[in-house]
Amino acid sequence: MLSKSAERLYWLARYLERTENTARLINATMNLIYDLPYGIEVGWHNLLNICGVEEAFYQRFKNPSEQNVIRFLLADSANSSSLLSSLSFARENIRTSRDLMPDEAWEQVNEMYLYATGNLENLSNRRGRAIFLQEIMHGCQRFTGFIAGAMSRNDSYRFISLGRNIERADMTTRIMDFGTVLLAENRSQTMREYESMLWINVLKSLSALLMYRKQVRRRIKGQDVLDFLLKNADFSAAVNHCLQEIEASIKKLPNSTPLLSQLETLEQNLLTVDTSQNTPLQLREILDKLQSDFNALHQRIAQTWFFNHLSV
Amino acid sequence: MTKNSIWNSYEADKTFDEMLSAQSHARPICETLSDYLQNLGVDALKHRRAAADAAILEMGITFTVYNDTGNIDRAWPFDIIPRLIEFQEWKRIEAGLKQRLKALNCFINDVYNAQSIIKDGLVPADLIHSSSNFRRECVGITPKFETWANICGSDLVRGGDGVVYVLEDNLRVPSGVSYMIENRVITKRVFPELLHNLNVMPVDDYPLQLFEMLCSLSENENPQIVVLTPGIYNSAYFEHAFLAQQMGVELVEGSDLVVQKDDCVYMKTIQGLEKVDVIYRRIDDLFLDPEVFHKDSLLGVKGLMRAWKAGNVALANAPGAGVADDKVVYAYVPQMIQYYLNEQPLLPNVPTYLCSEEDQRAYVLAHLSELVVKPANESGGYGMLIGTQATKKELMQFSKLIKENPRNYIAQPTLALSTCPTLCNDHLEPRHIDLRPFILQGENSFVTAGGLTRVALRKGSLVVNSSQGGGSKDTWIINMEQ
Repeated sequence: MLSKSAERLYWLARYLERTENTARLINATMNLIYDLPYGIEVGWHNLLNICGVEEAFYQRFKNPSEQNVIRFLLADSANSSSLLSSLSFARENIRTSRDLMPDEAWEQVNEMYLYATGNLENLSNRRGRAIFLQEIMHGCQRFTGFIAGAMSRNDSYRFISLGRNIERADMTTRIMDFGTVLLAENRSQTMREYESMLWINVLKSLSALLMYRKQVRRRIKGQDVLDFLLKNADFSAAVNHCLQEIEASIKKLPNSTPLLSQLETLEQNLLTVDTSQNTPLQLREILDKLQSDFNALHQRIAQTWFFNHLSV
Repeated sequence: MTKNSIWNSYEADKTFDEMLSAQSHARPICETLSDYLQNLGVDALKHRRAAADAAILEMGITFTVYNDTGNIDRAWPFDIIPRLIEFQEWKRIEAGLKQRLKALNCFINDVYNAQSIIKDGLVPADLIHSSSNFRRECVGITPKFETWANICGSDLVRGGDGVVYVLEDNLRVPSGVSYMIENRVITKRVFPELLHNLNVMPVDDYPLQLFEMLCSLSENENPQIVVLTPGIYNSAYFEHAFLAQQMGVELVEGSDLVVQKDDCVYMKTIQGLEKVDVIYRRIDDLFLDPEVFHKDSLLGVKGLMRAWKAGNVALANAPGAGVADDKVVYAYVPQMIQYYLNEQPLLPNVPTYLCSEEDQRAYVLAHLSELVVKPANESGGYGMLIGTQATKKELMQFSKLIKENPRNYIAQPTLALSTCPTLCNDHLEPRHIDLRPFILQGENSFVTAGGLTRVALRKGSLVVNSSQGGGSKDTWIINMEQ
């Protein structure tokens, strides 16, 4: 398999995962905010933090109002991680990978892109936005389903899986980061009253609520949620599960030994984290460290398969 | 024909129409289609056109157009009304195309080796050496099967006399075959019932035939084949990706390939370097290898010509094959067929005046306003003069161009290209068409069943190129005897 093709598939998967995550996150937040009282300290601005785009946002807007945040996260082409940007990068990557995938995979992404660009004007009203986000989430799931059902478990598939799981693990830690806000000692009384609802929202924004309920059969508690999202081996968005998926893909790819040992260290560190023994501040540091580890993993993947050692 | 027939307003009497005869009766092979369209009515046709347009958008069938604002990916312009050709007629055309490509390949191989056709005085030596597509670097080389042009796209037109002529042979990197295949995919959605009833010959075996032809170019039993593209900004990128995907081979750019000290070509993979045996290249000669041709080409592969000359990699088409893709050389093809194959040409050329010949040039200059003047080496319909539609200023300009560089121009009578019913807004109108079949030659020869019918969508226009307002149609070869 061409190095360049591997790189394109990897990024295709990352961008599509980012597209789906953004849609789900905004959808969950919308539903949450409609239920919350005025004046509570969580709101649209938290989304900017989760997506890591605060700085870019405040360069363009003063006020993190619903309209501004939504526009910036969904449709702003100046924001390179907006949903529309991610989707169009995904489309470019699959457009140049059509020799590796069944036609329907390309058509799926192309249709979704055409839908998104054709329905941007519906984003300003809440109803239109909800339909838009549903359609995008369904589009991404159809793509995933198609890949699962129609592609050989070959190297192409492995690079798609690699990209998806790195992006997914990264997103999970970002949403957990938001969760640590909910654990802050100095949180308001209102916040404490709405606590369960907020944690449920954390789970919903990762489509994790049902699976969490099945696993943890007691009243929803912040520590439990964080523990589940970090260490559960079976849930698809849990960091531990993502790392195992990454490991499974890497094992079958050539020249992967150094990468595997890097990954094993990462996995061991993850399993020793005890969320109940850490303050919210310490938890944030742990999550930050994880994010930089994912980045290091990405660098190593790029070095191993995407370029340089082959430039002759 | 009933009073409210959709054919009532159709004026097919100006030239040969593929569907209706001069008496406005449907030709025998078109009867079913004509009745079908009639029963369907215009509103239903418009619905089907909308469905076809949506399918094209979703399937992402595009071509790239360049303009001042950058590259635009445009949806492929497609007319849903198919163009029909009768099977027996097609058999004759097919044989003529195979014959033609064989002769052209004999010619190219001769030009780069013995040059007997020049020595025997049939073709002037100057013609070859002044050709901008003659590559000195290729002299003395004989590719496998003595075949240089493995893939050819010839343009056919039917004149007002009903005769099918060859207008030109594209031997460099002809494109359009993917659209031929995709057009059929769309037609299957639009007119599924018709296709089945009419016994239309399938077209989708082309990628398989191409793959087998490319395999035959290597000594290796399971050769590593790649499609070499200039990249996403090329107007035919869609096709490059399509063919690679259909053949199940890698689509590569120059930067993915490298020639090592052993003069072999390798591609950069996640495993490391892997040897490449056959390259279906969709890059022009001059960009293939910066070591030999354009030094600043970023599209090509350094050392590729070395590898090819050493016989370590097959290139299709071979570099230098374009020497026969020259409108002056074209004029000699009928003689070539007789010279190399000792056969009579099965397909006629369009009468061609060579501006390099003094008496012919004089005729051309005196009759500019009746003729079509073409530069010898352009493609895509650029740099042409259509005398009947030209302004005085354009005629003057071409007269000057011809006198300055006579070798670069040929002229042909203005052909009344045949027309075919085309859905324009809300009724059917005749539009001029041509046909580009694709011919393969390796160990064996193969011709597509039909080809890409191109249609000039503007009323009265004779320019069918997609870059200049042309569209396309599905082409049905129909066997009436079965």
